[in-house]
Amino acid sequence: MNAAAEELDPVGLSDAAPESLWTKGLYKFRRDRVGMWSFAVVLLYVGIALGVWLGFWATGWADLAGGKWEPVSGAHWFGTNIIGQDIFDRAIYSTKTSFEVGLVVAVLATALGAILGAIAGFFSGSWLDELILWLMGVLDSIPFLLFVAAIAYTLQSIPEISKYSMHIAMIVTFWITAGRLVRGEVIKLKEMEYVDAAHALGVPEYTIIFRHILPNTAHILLVQATITFVAAIKSEVILSFLGLGVKDSMSWGLMISESSQEVLAGFFNNFLAASVLLFGLVMAFNLFSDALQDALDPRTVAD
Amino acid sequence: MRLLLLLLVSLLAACGNEQGEDSDTAGLRVYHHSSDGAPTSLDPVQAATLYANLIVVNAYDTLYSYKYLERPYALKPNLAAAMPEVSGDGLTYTIKLKRGVHFIDDPAFDGGKGREVTTADVVYSILRHFDPETRPQGAWLWQGRVAGLEEWKAAGPDYDRLPDGLEIVDDYTLRIHLLQPYPQLLYTLAMGYSGVVPREAVEAYGREFGLRPVGSGPFRVVRYDTEKLIFEPNLNWRWEPVDLAAEGFDPATQGFTGIEVLDGQRPPFVDRFEISFIKESAARWNSFTKGNEIQYAGVPVELVDRVLASKDPVSLAPEYEALYQVRSDIEAGFVYSAFNMDMEFGTDPDPQQNERNRALRCAMIKGFDWERRNDSFYVNLGKVFPGVIPPVVPEYDPDASVDSVTRDVAGARQLLAANGWTPETLPTMVYGTVGSVRSRQFYEQFRAWMMEIGFPREKIVLREFATFGDLNKRWRESQLPLISAGWGLDYPDAENTLQLFYGPNKAPGSNSSNYNNPEYDALFEQAAVMLPSPERTKIYRRMNQMVIDDCVAITGLSRTRISVWHREVLMYPDTSIVGGFFFPFVALQDEKGLRLAPEPTPEVN
Repeated sequence: MNAAAEELDPVGLSDAAPESLWTKGLYKFRRDRVGMWSFAVVLLYVGIALGVWLGFWATGWADLAGGKWEPVSGAHWFGTNIIGQDIFDRAIYSTKTSFEVGLVVAVLATALGAILGAIAGFFSGSWLDELILWLMGVLDSIPFLLFVAAIAYTLQSIPEISKYSMHIAMIVTFWITAGRLVRGEVIKLKEMEYVDAAHALGVPEYTIIFRHILPNTAHILLVQATITFVAAIKSEVILSFLGLGVKDSMSWGLMISESSQEVLAGFFNNFLAASVLLFGLVMAFNLFSDALQDALDPRTVAD
Repeated sequence: MRLLLLLLVSLLAACGNEQGEDSDTAGLRVYHHSSDGAPTSLDPVQAATLYANLIVVNAYDTLYSYKYLERPYALKPNLAAAMPEVSGDGLTYTIKLKRGVHFIDDPAFDGGKGREVTTADVVYSILRHFDPETRPQGAWLWQGRVAGLEEWKAAGPDYDRLPDGLEIVDDYTLRIHLLQPYPQLLYTLAMGYSGVVPREAVEAYGREFGLRPVGSGPFRVVRYDTEKLIFEPNLNWRWEPVDLAAEGFDPATQGFTGIEVLDGQRPPFVDRFEISFIKESAARWNSFTKGNEIQYAGVPVELVDRVLASKDPVSLAPEYEALYQVRSDIEAGFVYSAFNMDMEFGTDPDPQQNERNRALRCAMIKGFDWERRNDSFYVNLGKVFPGVIPPVVPEYDPDASVDSVTRDVAGARQLLAANGWTPETLPTMVYGTVGSVRSRQFYEQFRAWMMEIGFPREKIVLREFATFGDLNKRWRESQLPLISAGWGLDYPDAENTLQLFYGPNKAPGSNSSNYNNPEYDALFEQAAVMLPSPERTKIYRRMNQMVIDDCVAITGLSRTRISVWHREVLMYPDTSIVGGFFFPFVALQDEKGLRLAPEPTPEVN
């Protein structure tokens, strides 16, 4: 290493020096202890959810495994509920529900936001941009819970779809933030030279948008997806608590809802089990999301 | 600083106003009741719920009412001057009205002064049930029973043209002509549906009449919204001295209430009657135990073990005993789940398939665990019984076989296997219910039991509805395979539950199960015209057995209601048949005894 290089790379990392935003981000993320711990907790939850999905555990969540309100024991780690169902099984099973809702909503809402945001950004100032911005404003102005209730009511005559009314409402609501972020980024990116070059070469506009510009917003989308994931999980619990959410399955929200009657009788197991698991996942995902945001922020990634 | 002072003064003034409300009632005898639901209308033609009935029978007069304390329940004249004269063939009822009964003063009347109630008002009030404009819900009580009503309706409602069956003999005499004997007629005239309304007020207020009651009942409504209803006594009502013996007082079972002191005293015993509508049981309980916010409540199921020292007989734990009175009464009704016999597992023209379907229904009945349902949700205070004749009616058979309410999982599995039912061939059961935590728990418990007899989990499907109205609509349209419901008796006669399975009442009528058994129907028609007798009871029980043998319903359980009230309140509340008819007898006491109205101060000339 010559002197000039030494000046630029005083700690001698130039051989392994990350080049792209992603490798730089990964490098930075791995050095974030809180981020790594939270990621480990998220992975643990993923493992639990996968185990449920594959039928390794919590298969008896709907069975009457014991008597009414049995206390914590070897047979029932979190006790049983009013009809004798095992609270541990139900709490574990609910992890899968949370991940299902979180993933479906995060992926679809982010994708929708990316597409509409990119179109609005690329054609900024046009009627198309105005239309999408108007749509965002309208949807943003509807109170979320009322919106879910309205969708649930509208879809109730179609049972096959009505059970997804919560998902639909969340996707229709949550894409907006991603859309606004992507729109702003695309407005910036479309002025870049490589886009001008693509134009000059006669590349069709949709190819420029989706092949050349959109991939460069991936770091925003990834962070936004994790934020949406957490928001979806929290919303699912709230909506299920209110009776607007999960129907034919189990959820922490339903468990907390059940407990609202049981606490009068001094029985807190449902409440504690659901709350602790929900808290753990939301907290871990929030920290993970923060760490990811820090790691992928282009302004700080070179630090 | 001045602004701050001004704000402070304004705030204090506002607080003063709040206290001012209390000072309005200072010195008054105020009773604070509570109800777990609010009526949506106080119009008698829409008094379909217990909540509405509770209020309507106090704002309006009915021809008959229930004796306050008599058990089994017994009727007594209310607006009627006496019990009716019934013709020998049971087809004509002549009812005399009390004279001098007036509606409350209201701007709807000439000069704002309430006029006298006459026979024409009684007839008008019944006819309103056959006028679609009023959105009535009680026509079924008289349809096909009272002569000429259907023709009157078909010809278009014209209140100046009377049907043959409702004859106004004079201003104080009504004659009812029936198409066939109807032993339950008098019960229908003690229901909120038959509350007597003045035509002037109905026409003056239109749809708003349901919010502005104008009746001749013991109380007048001074406030009504979704949170609270306030009654004040109608001082022009016939407040006769209390005759406990005539009301059926039984010192052995009712003496604990201390109501003996009311004997011979003239009501009203309260100056203001406030009813808070509090749906959440926990909130009601908190309100009840917090001073005198409310003085009457039910004990939430979750608190029964903490509040009660004993369940049989019901008694309070010592810390509550000193403060409150308690009584339990078994509901006049029951909970059950009926199969929709028009569905694929119901009646089938192919005898072999029909038998197979019956086996499936019977297996599901065997799989249902009533004892556990009673333990989970009714703290073992409910009464499980076979069939559809609940314990509260005299026709109930305490010696009937309990096989149909005894769980037998092995028997159920065997029955399914013997009839070729496998997890693949079993039908999907959509369990429709109103969206709530408790309903969901009912469903989950039911699903678990059905899974234990062989149903795959995905074949017991939950379908939630936002309101009972939505769910009821699906039942009426015969769209759901299971009808999981509670039925409150309209009157203490098993006919009222047996009609739930009478063929001609099929959906959209009250027979949501669409059970159609000609033999059952013939027996129902035979019994319908009979007065209470051992022979009629025998027929009722035979019909009950048919419902059990045909495996039409998973039934049943009558819930026990536990009422608690503050010790300073003197009353014997009844949550079902007597309902709101006990309100005029409610009294308050203090350390000096019964709180009577202060003597009027003599005017000095």
